[in-house]
Amino acid sequence: MPTARIIRNTLLMALVVAAFAVSFNVTEADFPRLFRDLPKGKDLILAFLTPDVATREMDTRTISIAFPIPCGSAPNENVIPSEGPRLVPSVDCTDPLTKFTLEGFDLAPNSELVIRWKLPDERLMTAIRTRTDSEGYFTSEVEARPIIATKNGVASRLEVDTLTPVGGLKPSQALLDVLDAMFETIFMALLSTTIATIIAAPLSFLAASNITKRGVIGTSVYYIMRFIFNVMRAYDPLSMALIFAFWLSFGPFPGAMALTVVTIASLGKLFSEAVENIDKGSLEALQATGANPLQTVRYGVVPQVIPDFISYIVYHWDINVRISTIIGFVGGGGIGYYLNLSINDFKWHQAGTAIWAIVIVVWAMDFLSAEVRKRLT
Amino acid sequence: MLRIQNLSKTYPGGTQALKNVSFEVNDGEFLVVIGLSGSGKSTLLRCINRLIDPTEGKVYWDNVDVTAAPPTELRQIRRRIGMVFQQFNLVKRSSVMTNVLSGRLGYVNPWMSLIGLWPQDEKKRALQALGRVGIADKAGERADALSGGQQQRVGIARALMQDPKLILADEPVASLDPVLSHSILQYLEQLNKEGITVICSLHFLDLVHRYATRVVALKDGVKVFEGSAQEIDRAKFKEIYGEEAQEVRAASM
Ligand SMILES: Nc1ncnc2c1ncn2[C@@H]1O[C@H](COP(=O)(O)OP(=O)(O)O)[C@@H](O)[C@H]1O
Ligand SMILES: [Mg+2]
Repeated sequence: MPTARIIRNTLLMALVVAAFAVSFNVTEADFPRLFRDLPKGKDLILAFLTPDVATREMDTRTISIAFPIPCGSAPNENVIPSEGPRLVPSVDCTDPLTKFTLEGFDLAPNSELVIRWKLPDERLMTAIRTRTDSEGYFTSEVEARPIIATKNGVASRLEVDTLTPVGGLKPSQALLDVLDAMFETIFMALLSTTIATIIAAPLSFLAASNITKRGVIGTSVYYIMRFIFNVMRAYDPLSMALIFAFWLSFGPFPGAMALTVVTIASLGKLFSEAVENIDKGSLEALQATGANPLQTVRYGVVPQVIPDFISYIVYHWDINVRISTIIGFVGGGGIGYYLNLSINDFKWHQAGTAIWAIVIVVWAMDFLSAEVRKRLT
Repeated sequence: MLRIQNLSKTYPGGTQALKNVSFEVNDGEFLVVIGLSGSGKSTLLRCINRLIDPTEGKVYWDNVDVTAAPPTELRQIRRRIGMVFQQFNLVKRSSVMTNVLSGRLGYVNPWMSLIGLWPQDEKKRALQALGRVGIADKAGERADALSGGQQQRVGIARALMQDPKLILADEPVASLDPVLSHSILQYLEQLNKEGITVICSLHFLDLVHRYATRVVALKDGVKVFEGSAQEIDRAKFKEIYGEEAQEVRAASM
């Protein structure tokens, strides 16, 4: 019936087109935007490409002057020297919401400067970052914001840190923090994988048809184990992490537990399939010697499945490092969490460091697991 | 003495692999079982040590009812019955030594064996068994690194570890060429001369004549012949093997 088939195919085509249109719509797909908005992403991408990995040892010198806001709210006892490192404001005091110019003389040349307010309650507020020129001079416009106002007759102080590099490069704090967080993620994944292996390995034998599917009890055990593994596998790690977060609140532990549960299911299934694929002949031979069931498993099954088991374990460790990065991002600690914090604080260079670390570790784990699997087959 | 009484086996799929088979095997015999592929030889041998449970009938070994033995007793019976297979059935990734030692699993402390600890004298026994089949130097190799003939010798060494009174050999040379076949069967013949009863399924008339003290023939699960090897001439062989007899003889030369 060619007409019927043509109609059917046309309908199918229409359905596909409709489905595509809907997906286009709900994704708010706007491909030209990828290029139109490129300039917006440029700084971000540049920042990511210049991760914060090394710093120089810095020599920090601080000069400060009191600065009453508004004028007369506190006595002004600043004595500005005529030479040597000194700060010279264009006015001695000012009213809130006005701006004035701050100049500095004879500071360390070509150095980074941090200009900040030290409020009467000792809190610090960074105002401006800038640099001195080759003469050790800078000038900068400073705004007197209302929050800086004098309190109880104590004026806020203007502080300027001069940062001069001394000595060679050393790993930056960001790099150290990233290494720390990465370490946490890798070991969180290792812990999940290890616990999951310890639980899944024995259970997988119960879920292997050639081991248990015998008699009423064995067959029930087999189907029950299969069922449990399948149900556990139905949850993906992220939703599992959310369930555990309700129970254990956020942090690395619930993330690791969620990962463990998912890994038990996945490894259990893979392990039991490895057990099912073993050569039956050698099992028969062991039974024929009068070996008991445990001995048969130990001498007949285990040697045959060990290479498969190891390669699945390493593979899951690899996967779990990736997943725990994502779980970390939603609050589970480790490198994902660090990345999330850096992004929220607009610390793009730090975020870049974290991303580079993730890329390198994921690549290395992938390489390692592929290598191990290659060796074992 | 082994007594097989009215043995029948119907597989779950409905295949009747054995139909009311009865015969006896005296101690010290080299009984050869012949029959076409699918005639029930493997099923028969596996019913003797109950790797397969027969549907009906009895197997008595030294007046003990093997078919009624509970698990623990069955394992005690099995450890005195060595078994050799067509596909050797070694654990390929394990060493030759471990494969041979595993023949002793029915005797040693189960817990020690589970953690892989073997007494020194068992290791010595394993080396002796390997020595008897001429491959003591292969003890440390992985089983699958050996040739077919060598693997079958490991299979015999494993059976020897059981200190067997009876050896069941299921087409032990069907995967080997004629020269190797003789070398393997000669080991079995030697063990037989030392007093071990052998029940062995074979395909080739010349091998049957050379090694059998008595022959049982199966056809479609039914015992169609029982007698001395001399009674089996070409005509009889052809009767048992039907049209394929020509091929079988040709292959054996
Ligand atoms: N596990 C099994 N399940 C179902 N049928 C089987 C099984 N093993 C053997 N059979 C059938 O039983 C018959 C006898 O097989 P077998 O004992 O292996 O014969 P042989 O060893 O003489 O070739 C054959 O028809 C075979 O297909
Ligand atoms: Mg067979």
